[in-house]
Amino acid sequence: MMVFLATMLGNFTTPMRIDTNPASMLWLLPLVVSIAVVYKATKVYKIRLWPFARESAVLFGSILVFIVVAAVILYGITWIVTEQLPSLLSRSTF
Amino acid sequence: MAQSWKDNHALFLISIGALAWLVPGAGHFALNERTRGLVIFVSIVLTFLVGIYVGSVGVIDPVHARPWYAAQVMNTPLVKLLGRIGATGNYRVFGRATEIGQIYTSIAGLLNLLCIVNAVYTAHLRHVGEAQA
Repeated sequence: MMVFLATMLGNFTTPMRIDTNPASMLWLLPLVVSIAVVYKATKVYKIRLWPFARESAVLFGSILVFIVVAAVILYGITWIVTEQLPSLLSRSTF
Repeated sequence: MAQSWKDNHALFLISIGALAWLVPGAGHFALNERTRGLVIFVSIVLTFLVGIYVGSVGVIDPVHARPWYAAQVMNTPLVKLLGRIGATGNYRVFGRATEIGQIYTSIAGLLNLLCIVNAVYTAHLRHVGEAQA
């Protein structure tokens, strides 16, 4: 029992190994779930399991959609600035 | 005649706010919103613990990560104790795990701030409603 407890506490003293790759972005999903649940818990009139779960799921989906839209827009801006703009500037007469 | 705890409106609101800060969800629990308090408690504590688990206790650092700490301390005043441990520098923090840990623990704190404000506002509305009735 003590060994188990020590191991559990020890896990909180060393960071996990998470590589810097696109898969690490999946860590945002549990956070978005938490945000959606807590926000809806403060907003709904009365908490009942299925309506509350549905409202939280809708908010979770909405946040994800907006994150994806923001990511696509930022990717587009980066693509224009790094790929298109240098060639346009080099062809410019100015 | 001494006023009761609920009759002193300002003291009542401050107590609810302090309770909600001390234990996430306790403010709502004290207002008889038991399910709401439980949902808030589980969500915020779980988010905070995941952040500590991923990034280690070193992500709570009042010396080198002061802006993050300001948000983290909104979880509960007990975070100050963890801050003392983190500030010793004995716990390694590095890389993506630190970023994720800081984000999780700070967002948990900001969510609790939202719940504190909501609990105080709910208590105020109830008092106003009772006064008008």
